[in-house]
Amino acid sequence: MAEALSQRRAAGFAPEAPVELHVNGRRHRLHLDARVTLLDALRDSLGLTGTKKGCDQGTCGACTVHADGRRVLSCLTLAAQCEGREVTTIEGLTAPDGGPHPLQESFVRHDAFQCGYCTPGQIMSAAALLEEGRADSDEDVREFMSGNLCRCGAYTNIVAAVRDVAAAGGADASV
Amino acid sequence: MSTVESRDVRGSRDAAPVIGTGMDRVDGARKTAGAAGYPSDVQLPGQTHAALVQSTVAAGRIRTLETAAAEASPGVLTVMTHRNAPRLPDGPMTALGASPPAPLRDDRILHHGQHIALVVAETPEQAAAAARLVRVTYDTSDPVLGLDDPRAERMDNPWGMDADRGDPAEAVRTAEAKVSGTWTTPDNTNNPLGLFATVAVWERDALTVHDSTQWPTMGRVTLAKVFDVPESAVRVLAPYVGGAFGAGLRVWPHVILAALAARVLRRPVKLVLTRAQMFTSVGHRPSTVQHLTVASTGTGELVALDHRCTSGVAMEDDDFEPCAATSALAYACPNVITRDVQLRLNIPDPTSMRAPAVGQGNFALESALDELAHSLSTDPLELRLRNYAAEHPGNGLPWSSNALRECYEAGAERFGWSRRDPEPRSMRDGDELVGYGMAGVSYPWYAQPCKARATVNSDGSAFVRSAATDIGTGTYTVMTQVSADTLGIPPGRVRFDLGDSDMPQSPQAGGSGLTGALATAVRDACRGVLGRILDLVRDDSESPLRGCTIGDVTVGGGRMHLRGRPAEGESYADILARHGQVEVTADGASTPADAAELGMAPAGAFGAKFVEVRVDADLGVIRVPRVVSAIDGGQILNEKTARSQIIGGTVGGIGQALFEETVTDAGTGRIANATFGDYLVPVNADVTQMDVLFVGDPDRATPLGTKGVGEIGLVGIAAAVANAVHHATGTRVRSLPVTLDQLL
Ligand code: FES
Ligand code: FES
Repeated sequence: MAEALSQRRAAGFAPEAPVELHVNGRRHRLHLDARVTLLDALRDSLGLTGTKKGCDQGTCGACTVHADGRRVLSCLTLAAQCEGREVTTIEGLTAPDGGPHPLQESFVRHDAFQCGYCTPGQIMSAAALLEEGRADSDEDVREFMSGNLCRCGAYTNIVAAVRDVAAAGGADASV
Repeated sequence: MSTVESRDVRGSRDAAPVIGTGMDRVDGARKTAGAAGYPSDVQLPGQTHAALVQSTVAAGRIRTLETAAAEASPGVLTVMTHRNAPRLPDGPMTALGASPPAPLRDDRILHHGQHIALVVAETPEQAAAAARLVRVTYDTSDPVLGLDDPRAERMDNPWGMDADRGDPAEAVRTAEAKVSGTWTTPDNTNNPLGLFATVAVWERDALTVHDSTQWPTMGRVTLAKVFDVPESAVRVLAPYVGGAFGAGLRVWPHVILAALAARVLRRPVKLVLTRAQMFTSVGHRPSTVQHLTVASTGTGELVALDHRCTSGVAMEDDDFEPCAATSALAYACPNVITRDVQLRLNIPDPTSMRAPAVGQGNFALESALDELAHSLSTDPLELRLRNYAAEHPGNGLPWSSNALRECYEAGAERFGWSRRDPEPRSMRDGDELVGYGMAGVSYPWYAQPCKARATVNSDGSAFVRSAATDIGTGTYTVMTQVSADTLGIPPGRVRFDLGDSDMPQSPQAGGSGLTGALATAVRDACRGVLGRILDLVRDDSESPLRGCTIGDVTVGGGRMHLRGRPAEGESYADILARHGQVEVTADGASTPADAAELGMAPAGAFGAKFVEVRVDADLGVIRVPRVVSAIDGGQILNEKTARSQIIGGTVGGIGQALFEETVTDAGTGRIANATFGDYLVPVNADVTQMDVLFVGDPDRATPLGTKGVGEIGLVGIAAAVANAVHHATGTRVRSLPVTLDQLL
């Protein structure tokens, strides 16, 4: 039975199901193939393409978003698993006054990116780190940000950008 | 104040220059907001989705190919194979050699991972699921995979760059000191973080392709030839690219497949490669085996250099990888022989990866020099200084710029090289063995013709553009600065645009050649606009600028005035309004410097790399806590983005030195580690302190004095790390990556 289902799935007969997603403070009712990840739902169904796909295997961090305030890899999370959770993406990350989050400005000032492809994921990880109070030293930031690959090699500037915001009490100003 | 006519890079301008400052990236707000649109972000109405089916053998022929199940799968629109796809011609010759062969030509398999079918469906999930239903059997043959396989077809001197100077054999025979050995480097995979994506759409007979490319101009030329349409009917767009490092220099078969499917279906087709497909579809840095001999006098003056390199190339493709040839230009040495050889293998196409050829060749050369210095009990830094090439070693001309000595001196000073005890294993800190290593770099000069167009609008703002790309290098920002300075318009009122083949043609972002070529073309276009504005007021009795030429005026703050008389001038907006012009536009161009005409050898960047390694005395774990890079990049246009290029290259160099190795299964040709979990790249915790020093003067061969810095950051790191590991442990590692098992 299970095998028959998996064969049917392999052949594209995936059950579709209604899913309600809460993203960046808005509700979206979607009808999704059960295989669709949160990453693909955000990008393809909601047009929120700020969240990036670098591997689709949970190994690069480009797809990092927040679910109920905690960082998750959206490529490893099925959209259906996110019903009832508050999802925040880079498009929804703001300072309390609605302006750019201090991390976004700090990343620009410190040139903490080059191609920019890893950047939304780096910033979402960094925002969670600030919330968790785990950005108190360069070593901590390096360690806790090591799940976010930057192939352009902007690491030292990323650390400087995050530490700058942490030193200014940045967690208070985050999500 | 200088005049616009002078060679001063900044021209004559009132406001403080923005060239050279560390201006924040103009695309920074978009990138940090997730609002920059990469090719994979493109979504067009009616868009379909494609998935590739790739060969699971490395050599042979397709015996059976069953597509019925895939075709019957939900949402599937077409399954293209060599049986039903139209035969397409190959792309044209490019500055990098021939185009990769066209896809789906026949039933032959030339490498594992070759595209053998394209499935297009309504959704990505449907396409991926159906691709798994395509059944293929093969008549396999024994693949030629290794550089040691005697069956491999051999190509000698493939680029005509082999060097012969003096009598190296005799010089080696009579030399007082020599080092001879074999160094090897593995396959590395570019692996930009952005998955390469193509979205293709035909409207009537016009093709638009959004693509992860470093070279929209070449994309247009290639697609026009392949699909037999005029170049004006093809548009290639790449406003943002998620990194490339050479992977975006070619029009790959998957790009052509997406465009072909879009033509067949008459709907937009989107194809995003998987991470595993990134290992087989968009090039890689080929492995090398290098035999090298360096010989010197007893005091370390080089008398002979003999460098022979063998690398692999795909069965029916080109790759420009003259690893040995670059050694001939690095040092003053009277007797030199270099030989480059390529072997045809059943491997995915090698192609440029950041610092192609130099990245591998420099590892062997700078490691050998370290061994030579050690054997002579000479400081490795001193050995380099003694063999400094005051003139271009190939043609004997003076360099257009060369601050390599200053790189050595300033870098050593910053690093604290004098604290190095020359004895291996002599510097210990607790459980860690400490090693200092260094390497020199002479990066080859490269330039191509380039064009740009500049417009000043009636509101006094400017719009400047060229079909270049910004793959993270900072092109948007740097060219905004060059435009702003040349026009005398604040950078906030200048828009520089790129990434569109409809714009004036640009060379690739590659070879560290774009910034110089493009900056010169942009400056030329902006000066052309200034000239046209002066033409407008030539006989204008109301204008204080009437009758002026460009040499008579100073620009700044959106206006022009007579040199030395700031009150006697007017704004561009006023001039355009009075003459009823909506805009004034001019084209600009640059051509590569000509050594004979200049009486100088145009120089690339130079650099000196100093590295500290720490090796756990018991476990052999290697760390690189500190790197100092001293770089002669000529005139630096933006200190901030140039520094990022160097540290980014350095991180790539640490990857090459310690982690990166694409592992191919010897029997099947399958890449065994095609994930980020298995193909290791540096992570944040691997990188700590990185110092970058820029030294030297503006280069004399380019009007703005620039030299490219996109690749030199990587070069020398691998050798400096290996040399530092020897200093720390006493063990020589001649094979990359340097891993702890080689130390135990
Ligand atoms: S795309 Fe999710 S971790 Fe790489
Ligand atoms: S900025 Fe390019 S991957 Fe990080």
